[in-house]
Amino acid sequence: MVSRLLLAVRIGWVLGAMLAGFCLAAPAMAQDREKPLRVAMTGKYPPFSYYDNEGNLAGFDVDVSREIARRLGREVEIVATEWDGILAGLLAGKYDAIIGSMAITAERAKKVNFSEPYYQSGAQLFIHRDNPAKVFSIEECDGMKVSAVLGETYQRYLEQNHPAVEVVTLKSSVEIFELLEQNRITGFVSDRLVGSWQIKSASRPFVPVGDMLYAEKMAIPVRKEDTQLLEGINEALRQMRRDGTTRRIHQKYFGLAAPSNVGPSGEMSSGVIAAKLFKGFAATLGIAAAALGIGFFLAIPCGLVLNQPRGGMAFLYWPVRTVVDFLRGTPVLIQLLFAWMGLGLSPYVAAIGTLGVNSMAYMAEIVRAGLMSVDYGQVRAGRALALSRYQVFRYIVWPQAFRVAIPPLMNSVVALTKDTALVAVISVAEVIREAQSIISVTFEPSKYYLIVAVMFFAVTFPLMKFAGLIERRIRRKGFAHA
Amino acid sequence: MLSIRDLNYVYPNSDEPAIAGMNADIPRERVFAVLGESGSGKTTLLNCIARFLTPTNGTITIDDQDIADMPKAGFRRALGVVFQKLYLFPHLTVQENMILAPVKAFGQARSEARRTSAEMLDRLGIGDLDDRYPSQISGGQAQRVAIARGLMLQPQYMLLDEPTSALDARTTGEFSQWLSELQEDTSFIIVTHDLPFATAVASHGIFLEAGRIRAAGDVENILQQARRPNNE
Repeated sequence: MVSRLLLAVRIGWVLGAMLAGFCLAAPAMAQDREKPLRVAMTGKYPPFSYYDNEGNLAGFDVDVSREIARRLGREVEIVATEWDGILAGLLAGKYDAIIGSMAITAERAKKVNFSEPYYQSGAQLFIHRDNPAKVFSIEECDGMKVSAVLGETYQRYLEQNHPAVEVVTLKSSVEIFELLEQNRITGFVSDRLVGSWQIKSASRPFVPVGDMLYAEKMAIPVRKEDTQLLEGINEALRQMRRDGTTRRIHQKYFGLAAPSNVGPSGEMSSGVIAAKLFKGFAATLGIAAAALGIGFFLAIPCGLVLNQPRGGMAFLYWPVRTVVDFLRGTPVLIQLLFAWMGLGLSPYVAAIGTLGVNSMAYMAEIVRAGLMSVDYGQVRAGRALALSRYQVFRYIVWPQAFRVAIPPLMNSVVALTKDTALVAVISVAEVIREAQSIISVTFEPSKYYLIVAVMFFAVTFPLMKFAGLIERRIRRKGFAHA
Repeated sequence: MLSIRDLNYVYPNSDEPAIAGMNADIPRERVFAVLGESGSGKTTLLNCIARFLTPTNGTITIDDQDIADMPKAGFRRALGVVFQKLYLFPHLTVQENMILAPVKAFGQARSEARRTSAEMLDRLGIGDLDDRYPSQISGGQAQRVAIARGLMLQPQYMLLDEPTSALDARTTGEFSQWLSELQEDTSFIIVTHDLPFATAVASHGIFLEAGRIRAAGDVENILQQARRPNNE
């Protein structure tokens, strides 16, 4: 009788909670019902986010994202992006929220609003089991090298609270593990949960020592103005805590009874790996080809303008000169980040646009040099034969200039192909990013970076040989000044 | 008749006129010589006649038509130029050099232009050079190709700028011979400081000095006048 009453109360309570949740979520739904909830994470932070054996994004954060989106009545769209630009991407409107194990800090909270925490962990020092330096806490690490992942809170914490510790920041735990294995660092500070999990997965002889440096609350940042979304997420998190969803997800990944088939197994089938690498490399080549097309066809008019500082196009000279010099004098990486976050372009558009415009700058100079190598007498001879200005350019000047320009243009093509490696930073799923996601599961950086290098070389080597061949042929014909 | 009336040319940023009040009539005859040392205004005159420079004042007419008013294609058909450095197009074969303008500028059929080109080259004794690139032929051959290329447009007048400068003595002799024998409706105006060559190929001419015509008429007479000291 009592249990029945309890049951009824429970049912009523759950129904009420659902109703309340529905009412709270309703305004947000009305507003954004059609649009999927875009959620960012790195995809390289197992077991919170990683690519599973089939090459799909999975993990603790993915499960949390799905549960929240379901409670908001929205589809979820997961954006895999780099950690060091993840907040900037949120502010630039690339996605609506970050569900990527981000710790609440005062500094971050100035720019974004955090939800209630969805799990807690903390900073932990890990060292090699052999402990050659005989350290047992972070306080004993003064003057020693301790690693942290670039952009994570641990780096800042160490610098502020343990200034005598030499902090070595690295791109990911994969690099850190390699350094620690080689005894080039004393230890590293990482998230207690993730660190332990990674060490287990990679079968490394590392152990945690000392107390947690501090505890962290992981939460979901959204833009300051998205107050309705924040309310919706908080309500969803409360529901998940109440109905046990949060605990269930936590246990799935970290519980004592966690089944071994959950989370990345430390292995990926070679089929999936090959598919990821080739898909990534196809994207790389596609981006390179598109950028090259844009760059080359912009380079011809720009080279013409640069070659004629006087005359009909004189008013264009300084604008073009300035743009070309600026593009050549600033890092492509910054141009990429600017196009992506500053201009708010989508990753692929930003990648192709930036690399295209950048290669335009280099190729415009090559085109200009090619045009300069053509004797002006050739133009006069053409005009003396009644050819129009355009015909003189098209049939006399350009063919000669182009032949002179082919070898350096080929070098530009090679450079551009290699530069596509940079676009991984703005979360384009090209070959480097695919390799990183493979490495975050397999922990074999040397193997996969080598494979990627060989893939690049397989494309650039024939290009370089081809350039050499053309150069020799032009010399034989005997009209190039080169 | 090509007539030059009160022609002046002053280069930008210069006070001295390169050509000062020049009057001349160049009749349609086989070869007419424009003589003078370097700096005498020969090249400036050539550039004015070829419309590469616009005279500061004065007019140049061909058969009473001001060349400044002639449409471009019409003008280039009336007057061809072969430059001192020839400027054969190095990326094109001899034949392609020959047919480029007829095909592209005058819309002639490629096959027809090829036939005309072959006839022309045969007539000039270089019919076997069709497929060669300019870098693969001699200076004398290149000279002929450049003239042949200009003749493809069948101009009334053709300016030859220092045609012997790239030739050695023997080739110059051959060239004089060849130019005199060339049966064409085209009148050649040779601009040169090579007096023996001028004497060999031209009957009439003008002798320039400091932008003015110092002597005109029969080439032999001109040379006698030119040899007299300046400060008589």
